[in-house]
Amino acid sequence: MKEFKYVITDEVGIHARPAGLLVQEAKKFTSTIMFIKGEKSAKATSLMKLMGMGIVKGDEITVTIEGDDEDAAAEAIEAFVKANF
Amino acid sequence: MALDYRKCAEQIVSLIGGRENVAQAAHCATRLRLVIKDNSKIDKAALENVDGVKGMFESNGQLQLIIGTGTVNKVYDEFLAVTGMTAATKDDVKAAAAAKQPAWKRALKSVGDVFVPILPAIVASGLMMGVVEALGKAIPSFASTDWYAFLDMVANTAFAFLPVIVAISAARVFGGNVYLAAVIGLMMVHTGLLNGWNVGSTDAINSFFGVTDGNIPTWNLFGDLKIGDYVLGSISRHGYQGHVIPVMIAIWLMSKVEKWLHEHVNEMIDLFVVPITTVFVTAIFTFVVIGPIFATLENFVLKGAQWLVQFPPGAMIMGAIYPATVVMGLHHMYNVIEAGMLSSVGLNTWMPIASAANFAQFGACLAVGIKCKQAKLKTVAVPSSMSAALGITEPAIFGVNFRFMKPFICGMAGGAAGALFGSIAKIGATAYGVTGIPGYLTIDNPAIYTILLIISGGVAFALTMFFWEENVAPAAETAGTTDAAQTETADASTDDAAEVTSKIVISCLAGKIGQPVKGEIISYKDIPDETFASGVLGEGVGIQPAEGIVYAPMDGEISSVADSKHAIGITGPEDMELLIHVGVDTVEMKGDGFTTFVEEGDKVVKGQKIMEFDIEKIKAAGKPDTVVVLLTNSDDYENLELS
Repeated sequence: MKEFKYVITDEVGIHARPAGLLVQEAKKFTSTIMFIKGEKSAKATSLMKLMGMGIVKGDEITVTIEGDDEDAAAEAIEAFVKANF
Repeated sequence: MALDYRKCAEQIVSLIGGRENVAQAAHCATRLRLVIKDNSKIDKAALENVDGVKGMFESNGQLQLIIGTGTVNKVYDEFLAVTGMTAATKDDVKAAAAAKQPAWKRALKSVGDVFVPILPAIVASGLMMGVVEALGKAIPSFASTDWYAFLDMVANTAFAFLPVIVAISAARVFGGNVYLAAVIGLMMVHTGLLNGWNVGSTDAINSFFGVTDGNIPTWNLFGDLKIGDYVLGSISRHGYQGHVIPVMIAIWLMSKVEKWLHEHVNEMIDLFVVPITTVFVTAIFTFVVIGPIFATLENFVLKGAQWLVQFPPGAMIMGAIYPATVVMGLHHMYNVIEAGMLSSVGLNTWMPIASAANFAQFGACLAVGIKCKQAKLKTVAVPSSMSAALGITEPAIFGVNFRFMKPFICGMAGGAAGALFGSIAKIGATAYGVTGIPGYLTIDNPAIYTILLIISGGVAFALTMFFWEENVAPAAETAGTTDAAQTETADASTDDAAEVTSKIVISCLAGKIGQPVKGEIISYKDIPDETFASGVLGEGVGIQPAEGIVYAPMDGEISSVADSKHAIGITGPEDMELLIHVGVDTVEMKGDGFTTFVEEGDKVVKGQKIMEFDIEKIKAAGKPDTVVVLLTNSDDYENLELS
């Protein structure tokens, strides 16, 4: 299992559009990718759950990746998160 | 040369940094209003020099380009075409609705659009003409003074050259070049042609053309080539004084020809080729086709009228259709009937019929003036009715009654009633040329004539007061519905909700999703945002909201409510995940203008109100108000159908 932490810097956090792009990215991999903030968590493939987490600027999130292609997935998702959130 | 809208739009787009730099585009009466993403990419100096842009300034985060009335909408259309953007404002939805009106309604609207701007000219002239003519009849010695001659000229100028004024106004409505239109209008009243009012007068024809048989000579463009009795390319050498409809048809055609030529003629020779071809084609068509059609119709009308007025029911019909013949411009030869009557029996029984018809238009127009609430309409209707009372009905008919149609028809009813009465009472005039109030000067029985005027004017007035309703301005109408929606009882709004959500916008094997917001549905591909339109967030629809209420479009569970309250996620049957996102980039409004009624985890039933939003605030914030409705996991479902 891979894991990384990230503090959101984007002004409006994970809202519909970037979340949608994240879902697209996450669907490229077979690994299970989880976004965790405090007690809440969501699969990166579930747009609704992601948006429901209410992640905003300054929040620290933990992302876990587990599966056959976790190395490639972790790299791609981390790059995506840094670029978009 | 007419402004090339396409070129103007293309130049604007290139000078504001291209399509990518435009967030939103709309227009008002005179200005193109653009919301620009990066103002540094705008070439302001060059923009002001674009042909068609009269000025520019920035206000409320909008770049506003002053383009002008009647032009800005065309530039805007091209702007949308050039950028591939979709019209997103309510006004455009309305305009689209107007374009769907039946042809006769659009034609009627054109008549109004052409006539309203020229009303100041003809209302003033109509009133003055009525007064001058009445004075001339009342005081015979006045009619021979220089003052009378001078005043008569001043007063009748607008009517003598009415085709020119109509042509210019029509060109603005139909998008033709106004100077070319003026040429066509002038041509139709050219001094080389017999005055249209004298078509029925043998003396005038003989003296004008130096002939003795009283027939108007023709120009035969193709010699004696005949089809049956019709001589091909034959032009009767008379003008179109007092005509309206033939002029409008001519200018409409001219605008089409001109537009087509501008599109198909190389720019290098455009100025050389287009105007001359436009004028030539229009002139040929006007004199060879439109002219003869109306002349033939006029003859039929004349014969029919002569026959009709012999008995009271016929007089009644004539009283009814008289204003219709005025509209068609088929009333020029009526004085032939009057002159004939005077020479045969010495009594003009036509005049009471015409008077009844005209005075009824006065009654209808006055009713409009009294009943209407718009100050602008009042100031037109009241003086127009005064002019009609004096026998000059064009301002009342074209400026008011015919535009709204109902007053016109009520006027026809009044005219019928008055004409029937006049025919039964057998009154008549001893001369011709005046109707309405000045008619007292020539009528043989003033008491009966008074009753006739009261009947015709009164019937028209009463019917119009009863049947005609002023159309409330669309803005007020919208406000009205909103108020109504807010004060409605819970039951009523449930009905409303059921009605809105009963329309299925997304359906697949897993279930059906209703329409969450009242309004016009557009393809998700037309949502003014690349991400939503691309489909990466799932497929669905966009809605141009007509009111700011979101209903749950299916039974389910609220899976997310954005902190900024502008978006709600609902998980429905078979794990369908639906995103309802109100507006584009509205996350930046941070909840202002949005009220949500549910929280994450709430169960909702179809039709339940889950959010309210303020359309005006979204617009004020410069965001598109399109409601995005996407099935975010649409990939997972088969047989997906979108409306």
